[in-house]
Amino acid sequence: MVDYSQRGLDGVFAAIADPTRRAILRRLARKPATITEIARPFAVSLNAVSKHVKVLERAGLISREVMGRRHVCRLQPTSLKRATAWLNECTEFWQTRFDALERYVAGQMQTKKPTGGSRAHNR
Amino acid sequence: MHTTDDPNRVVVRRRIPAPREVLFEAWTDAEGFRQWMCPGDVVSNEAILDVRVGGSFRILMKSKTAEYEHTGVYKIVDPPSKLVFTWTAKATGDTPTLVTVEFFAAGEETEIVLTHEKFTDPEVSKRYRGGWGQILEKLSIYQAKKVQQ
Repeated sequence: MVDYSQRGLDGVFAAIADPTRRAILRRLARKPATITEIARPFAVSLNAVSKHVKVLERAGLISREVMGRRHVCRLQPTSLKRATAWLNECTEFWQTRFDALERYVAGQMQTKKPTGGSRAHNR
Repeated sequence: MHTTDDPNRVVVRRRIPAPREVLFEAWTDAEGFRQWMCPGDVVSNEAILDVRVGGSFRILMKSKTAEYEHTGVYKIVDPPSKLVFTWTAKATGDTPTLVTVEFFAAGEETEIVLTHEKFTDPEVSKRYRGGWGQILEKLSIYQAKKVQQ
């Protein structure tokens, strides 16, 4: 498996552990938005949303562009892609281990099998 | 690619033509385990397994260029049906994760279901509770589509 920490995924997974932050990401996946626009559907203060945005920003999940008084947030998909890739590699790791396990067990079955015996004898 | 209903986990299934006892032994016998728990470029592998609840294991995989240490503690040892252990490696960010291996009899074969859950540390799991896997995938798919458009 490829190194998890080297990719800085801790921050990514921590950032998306929060349901409000995930909702913010989904919102930004549709299109970029200002903090006020992001905050609109949430029952939390603008200040709270601003803190969530900061966490997402630090994790590299979003970028923020300051245009006068407007802060426009944009989804940065690279970190998400790295995290997804890591999950896929985890699956891949176990799949290939299962391939090896299958080969190993086939060998075991050959050596353990009594002459002329059926598999049932090994149970 | 990771197929799971629960986005917190990676679940891998495999049906293998061998009885559960043989497969359980392959997971718990150090010599056998050492032989097959040997990914791609790994040229030698040492395994010390103390297979009992609370017992620990250490696997040291060596490739030509690097060493990968995997350690953990057995949580459930229920032959031949279930094995649960923590799994800590560089690949998990040196954070303990939880691996559950279940062995289901399927006629003369065995279906193995492996569940790899991340962030089992109670402190960490509190923060990580949430469906990040699926969400990540959905978001990246969405992004990929957007890029194509």
